[in-house]
Amino acid sequence: MNIVEVNQLSKTFELHILHDKMIPALHDIEFDIAEGEIIGLTGKSGSGKSSLMKCLYRTYLATGGEILYYSRGGVVDLVKASDHEIIALRRSEVRYCSQFLSVIPRVSAIDVVAEPLARTEKNRDLARSKAKDLLEALGLPTALWDAFPVTFSGGEQQRINVARAIIARPRLLLIDEPTASLDQRTKDVVIGLIRDLKQEGTSVLCISHDEYTLERLADRRLHLQSGRITHAITESI
Amino acid sequence: MSALLRVRNLTKIYGEPGERTLEQTGPEWNSNICPETDSIVACAGVSFDLYPGEVLGIVGESGSGKSTVVKLLYFDMEKTAGSAWLRPYNDGRTNMLEASGQQKRYIRNHLMGTVYQNPRDGLNFSFSSGGNIAEKLIMAGSLHVGSIRERASFLLEKTEVPVRRMDDTPASFSGGMQQRVQIAKAIANNPPLLFLDEVTTGLDVSVQAKVLDLIRELQQELGIAMIVVSHDLSVIRMLTDRTLVMKHGRVVESGLTDQILQDPQHAYTQLLVSSLL
Repeated sequence: MNIVEVNQLSKTFELHILHDKMIPALHDIEFDIAEGEIIGLTGKSGSGKSSLMKCLYRTYLATGGEILYYSRGGVVDLVKASDHEIIALRRSEVRYCSQFLSVIPRVSAIDVVAEPLARTEKNRDLARSKAKDLLEALGLPTALWDAFPVTFSGGEQQRINVARAIIARPRLLLIDEPTASLDQRTKDVVIGLIRDLKQEGTSVLCISHDEYTLERLADRRLHLQSGRITHAITESI
Repeated sequence: MSALLRVRNLTKIYGEPGERTLEQTGPEWNSNICPETDSIVACAGVSFDLYPGEVLGIVGESGSGKSTVVKLLYFDMEKTAGSAWLRPYNDGRTNMLEASGQQKRYIRNHLMGTVYQNPRDGLNFSFSSGGNIAEKLIMAGSLHVGSIRERASFLLEKTEVPVRRMDDTPASFSGGMQQRVQIAKAIANNPPLLFLDEVTTGLDVSVQAKVLDLIRELQQELGIAMIVVSHDLSVIRMLTDRTLVMKHGRVVESGLTDQILQDPQHAYTQLLVSSLL
């Protein structure tokens, strides 16, 4: 069963402050994501991978086409849904994990991770204990759990980011370069955590340049070139 | 889920507007002053829904009308036109902007709180900090001195103001502390709706972070819906789910906060975002 169906999606940026300059980013994108499927999104820098992901999360407003999302409550077109519908989906089902941690000042690592679950479960202690389990699995030194992530290294921040994205067990995970600045051992842990989510039925769209990660995660790959899908490869996992 | 607050066509005009005042003002005229009548359109046609527990940002430059919106909703100013329905007030069936003075006082004391940029607007500097909180509690009908004191010290603790300074006046406090007393007072009666008007403007960065952190924590713990007015996009990014962008008294763009910041549609918002340090 499909959880996402993207039809004729396009995105063009119109820069009014540069004399209405038009910058095309995506053309005629078509693909589906099945329940429990992991799709690897590949392509050179600037090919439109992040733009596509941001259109799915509605951080970018698509210019044309539709993105049908089969939510628990029914089908929603993510291009046209109201802001309130999108906020509700983000809180309950859809999670985006960027390459960069957007740090919240004066909130400890453990609370940054626990927050999405504390919001849905209304149980801060439970959320914090799950956050500890994740940080432990990801090998973040316990000395850092109560520290503020703004001072952390790139790899440490990335682990916080991944943990925060998966703690509330989303139905759809959009994840941008989850293993880029990690060592081999931690990379394997992250791959394992994402595969666990897949076992629970979560669908994943994952941007990566890393062949090792893609081989172990992706059921299928979509390759983007200048804003178009040029070919789709099905892995034999 | 239904909206906590519905606002439609909220408008405030200073001076005597002419028939074409609204047509001849706004972003496309690059002015909010009517060329025929010299009346000033502080805000016009502002409409939005706020859901329970939602945090809505209003961003814009000085004079864009963003503070006017919350001042009208908190009855600090009289509207020229428009309606606002608050669900806990008469089941959202009555336009609260048309309510009697007595009804408005009830709504202000029980259903809303506000935090101003200048602590002197929200606090009485001749009362102690505890007395300021007590004032709000008494206005809402609390009469028992012991329970008022208990509630006041609980709120000061919650907002990280040393309880032993409860009997000192806010004049002897630092700016950040004054702001936290204002927050304690604003949430004293557990209102479902809180207005925050430039609350961190003028504070040191570290104090600013502490106040923002407190607001986030209270929001998550108490689930209060908030309208956050700020010219500072980082404050908006940190606190809000959704944002209205205002210019010359009009809403030029509204959307999810991350969309407004990363894919702004209106020329003015593009300029604003590209000016971010």
